[in-house]
Amino acid sequence: MKKILFILFCLLTSPVVLAATSIKAEVNGMVCAFCAKGIEKKLNAMPEGQGAFVDLKRRIVVLELKPQQDVPLDAFTQVIKDAGYAVSKVEKVEQSIVEIKTSIKASTKGQ
Amino acid sequence: MFKQLSVAFLLAVSSLHAQSAALMGFEDSYMLMTETGEYNQEVMFNYAPSIHHAFGIEVMRMSPKGMRATTMTGINYTGLVKRWNLPSAQANIWVMGSVGEARGMHNGFSYSPSVQFDYETTRLYFLAKMRMVRAPGMNNDTAAIQGGFSFYEADFDETQPWFVLEAKTIQNYNPSFQVTPALRFINKNYFLEFGVTNPFDKSDRAPRLNLMFTY
Repeated sequence: MKKILFILFCLLTSPVVLAATSIKAEVNGMVCAFCAKGIEKKLNAMPEGQGAFVDLKRRIVVLELKPQQDVPLDAFTQVIKDAGYAVSKVEKVEQSIVEIKTSIKASTKGQ
Repeated sequence: MFKQLSVAFLLAVSSLHAQSAALMGFEDSYMLMTETGEYNQEVMFNYAPSIHHAFGIEVMRMSPKGMRATTMTGINYTGLVKRWNLPSAQANIWVMGSVGEARGMHNGFSYSPSVQFDYETTRLYFLAKMRMVRAPGMNNDTAAIQGGFSFYEADFDETQPWFVLEAKTIQNYNPSFQVTPALRFINKNYFLEFGVTNPFDKSDRAPRLNLMFTY
């Protein structure tokens, strides 16, 4: 019994189980702060999300999903289109916004 | 020395002017724009129920040098006709129009349709605009071009400074040709511009301040 509980504990606290899922997209036409503000507002209004991040320099927008929540990629793309912009690439990543920001910082330092 | 520094500062900070490329905010947003200068004062407030349309109210005061001013108060419409979303740029065609009442030097029904094209990247900016400004006995039709560049790229939550230069002609006006260099600061949902119109002409030189706020 103790072994089972231990295994369950390990599984539940492992990075795989706790990893956040985010939708990350590259957006065409997002060149100004007002553009980014509009997209951020749209993403923050999505009930499945628990945070949005906009990187104006790299034209990247990210929506971090709540646990057990999902948004189809085409639905996400439509939200960006409705905000007035075009999506050139969209994908789901097993990273939180904090992790994405960290990796961007690291890649910037490496350049 | 102080005088030279003052002039340099005035020129550097000079001329505030103008509008941003965006003539309205995003869907379900409000935008407030103001322009304060010696030759023109304007306040415009609009609401955008969608990314394609915005409706609002506008008060514009045309105050040419040596003449009595005319104030036009009315309702306005802004429409996004076409947007091109490019990998690192955006271009737009806009139409705008306002109708209302003129008071002052000219009195009666006033109307002011206009069309604008703009192209913008995170570092460069260009705008061309034509606007009819009419009331009984009044024709202050305007044509303007603007170009600018940002000093560096900024993150979304940082302030980005721009240098913007505008050339504008206004029919039956004094001064009829106005050149305004300006410094523009954009941060998330507001921008501020400060400039000087016709900075090299002692008799026409005038500061100008533009503000825009979106929420």
